[in-house]
Amino acid sequence: MAEEQKEAKPKKRMTATKAAASIGPMVKEFITGTLQARAEGKQKLAYTFIVCHHEEIFRAMDVVPIWTENFAGICGAKRDAERFLQRAESLGLSRSLCTYALCGIGFDQWREELGQMPPDAPWGGMVKPDFMISSGQILCDPRSKWYQASQQFMPDVPIYNIDLPYPLFQRDQDHREVLGYYHRYIVKQLRGLVAFLEEQTKKKMDYDRLRELVDLSDRTWNLIEETYDLRKAIPCPMGTGDAMNTMVPINFMMATQKAYDFFVELKKELEEKIARGEGEVENEKYRLMWGGGLPSWFALTDFNYFNSKGASFPVETTYRMVAPLKEMDLPETKDPIEHLAWRWLGYWTFWYDKARKRPGSEPDVERLINRIEEYKIDGVVMHEAFSCRTWHVGLIWQLHQLAKIYKPIPVYVVGKDGKKEKVYRELPSLILESDIIDITSYSEVDTRNKIDAFIETLESIRMNRAA
Amino acid sequence: MILTLGIDIGSAQSKGMLLGEEGPLNSFECASGVDFKRTALRIQEELLSRSGKSLDEIKRTVATGYGSKSVVFADDMRPDIVCLAKGISSLLPTVRTLIDVGDLYTKILRTDGNGQVHNFLLSGKCAGGSGRILQVIAKVLQIKVEDIGELSLKSKKRVEFSTGCAVFAESEAISRLSQEVTKEDLLAGLHRALAAQFNSLAERVGIEMDVAMTGGGAKDIGLVQSFSEIRKHPILVPPNPQMTAALGAAIIARESLTG
Repeated sequence: MAEEQKEAKPKKRMTATKAAASIGPMVKEFITGTLQARAEGKQKLAYTFIVCHHEEIFRAMDVVPIWTENFAGICGAKRDAERFLQRAESLGLSRSLCTYALCGIGFDQWREELGQMPPDAPWGGMVKPDFMISSGQILCDPRSKWYQASQQFMPDVPIYNIDLPYPLFQRDQDHREVLGYYHRYIVKQLRGLVAFLEEQTKKKMDYDRLRELVDLSDRTWNLIEETYDLRKAIPCPMGTGDAMNTMVPINFMMATQKAYDFFVELKKELEEKIARGEGEVENEKYRLMWGGGLPSWFALTDFNYFNSKGASFPVETTYRMVAPLKEMDLPETKDPIEHLAWRWLGYWTFWYDKARKRPGSEPDVERLINRIEEYKIDGVVMHEAFSCRTWHVGLIWQLHQLAKIYKPIPVYVVGKDGKKEKVYRELPSLILESDIIDITSYSEVDTRNKIDAFIETLESIRMNRAA
Repeated sequence: MILTLGIDIGSAQSKGMLLGEEGPLNSFECASGVDFKRTALRIQEELLSRSGKSLDEIKRTVATGYGSKSVVFADDMRPDIVCLAKGISSLLPTVRTLIDVGDLYTKILRTDGNGQVHNFLLSGKCAGGSGRILQVIAKVLQIKVEDIGELSLKSKKRVEFSTGCAVFAESEAISRLSQEVTKEDLLAGLHRALAAQFNSLAERVGIEMDVAMTGGGAKDIGLVQSFSEIRKHPILVPPNPQMTAALGAAIIARESLTG
């Protein structure tokens, strides 16, 4: 077995908001909560993935979710993933696979081999589940295969896979033509999940409770939108570094009062900061968008490095897994399962109509353009995480297409004839390269050299922007 | 006389440019070695000695490159992207796209003729697609790296090199040589593979004419030609292309003195 050593303790990232600073203990609490639930034995625990619109069903059935991606992210953030990655490698799995999955599989194998948690497991470790709920949701094959691999070490733990597709964007075809078909299919999938959970928990679904939780989620979605919209303020009161913390209630705590209350507090805090004219950085010079890619959890201090150069991140596309419900025109229904399915489709097709209106655009590119305009963005930063192909493979194309169809910066240049001419340029962009949790893929010197050069480019454009 | 100094500490080679009021006075290049501080001092001393100038005549020094933080006597540090744009705009003002082939990275940038950067991209942090691969192959073929260009132009049947990875390139080269492929054909194949990588990077940033190549890699005529063949247009190369960033640093130093 590979040598199992922990890495150097990471430096702590400075947060701009009190709310973001409160997230660490909150995550620790729900990890220890799973340990406690296992010890008490009153509730069933399930491995599962984020962004499946099934949290309401879980919580209505009193099933405790164990967010396996979250645990891998914690290992990464604590710079303690390498020993689990190495263990997965020693089982014959390639490092080029999803490192979240590798970390989880390595951890599961180790825990099951020992019959207890691996030594010094981060925050007490990830407990063995009663069952596993997977979902590929079109884009991510490890989400279907991960639990199958883990099941080798826990053959008594059943897997239920839900399929959550959505119509892909086609410029010349209105997705509404097939939406009904997709909706019926997703409703069937979610009802299948309910039946599976009823069988596992020996309880019946309380649909009144489910309706309440769906309503709570909807209200939380709207509140998140209102809260994040406040970041349009100049200076920006909260950046993407903090949003990589506040993604926790969005993605891991939805359908809880605690998530709702968290955003009530955050909204209040941002409003107060705006009233005081307080920004994420003291003298905001550049407004950047985190335009795609999951972050390197072990290197979140890079956001502080950007901040030290006067760069703030008012908006990101990553982990903002909500969209304004009022703009979705979702069909009315009293059935909470049907509503979840409509909301799922509404979220994934949200940018389709807008993208059709702009030649050369696509939903992901359209979202970038809208964010650039709404948040007054000067440059785009993306992170290409080598092990996560599904989320990252299209990023370069998006940037390329963005540069092709959207040139908002007027500059004067010296023409070939020596005369000054006014031309329009694309927004400058920076692509960082590393991984989500594999620290061996990261070079701080390389990353910061790139950031330095990018900041100089932004400054150069700022100075030379034509009036 | 007011002098400014630009020092570019690269991962393999370090370069210095001493700039006078009328233009460059002298340049110097040496291996970076492992002690960047000492290398920087050596460059400063060599340039002063070759130009017959004294230290107090250097009014400002700007450092750039991978080891710029080691130039402890520098007044300022600037990213090499910025220095390259400044340098190439001074040497070839019509250039709008620059490919700088260094030992550690290949950098692509778009500039405006005034030395301002509009956008840029660096090759990944592995040595694939950088100039390091040329050194690896020179070692395998037991030739001098500066002879690679001329040799490759004598190729009669370029091999299809299947990798741009510096590690795999070594083993592929050894394997091809055992199949009695000539050095010339092998080098031409390597150039083609590298040039294809440059092209892919450049397409990502977007190419505007004119296009130039700098860095140590631009001294390899075979590599420049191969890139030109792929692009189907001429690629400009300034004299002493490896000095471009050091020149840019010296110009930036001068501009900050004159406002």
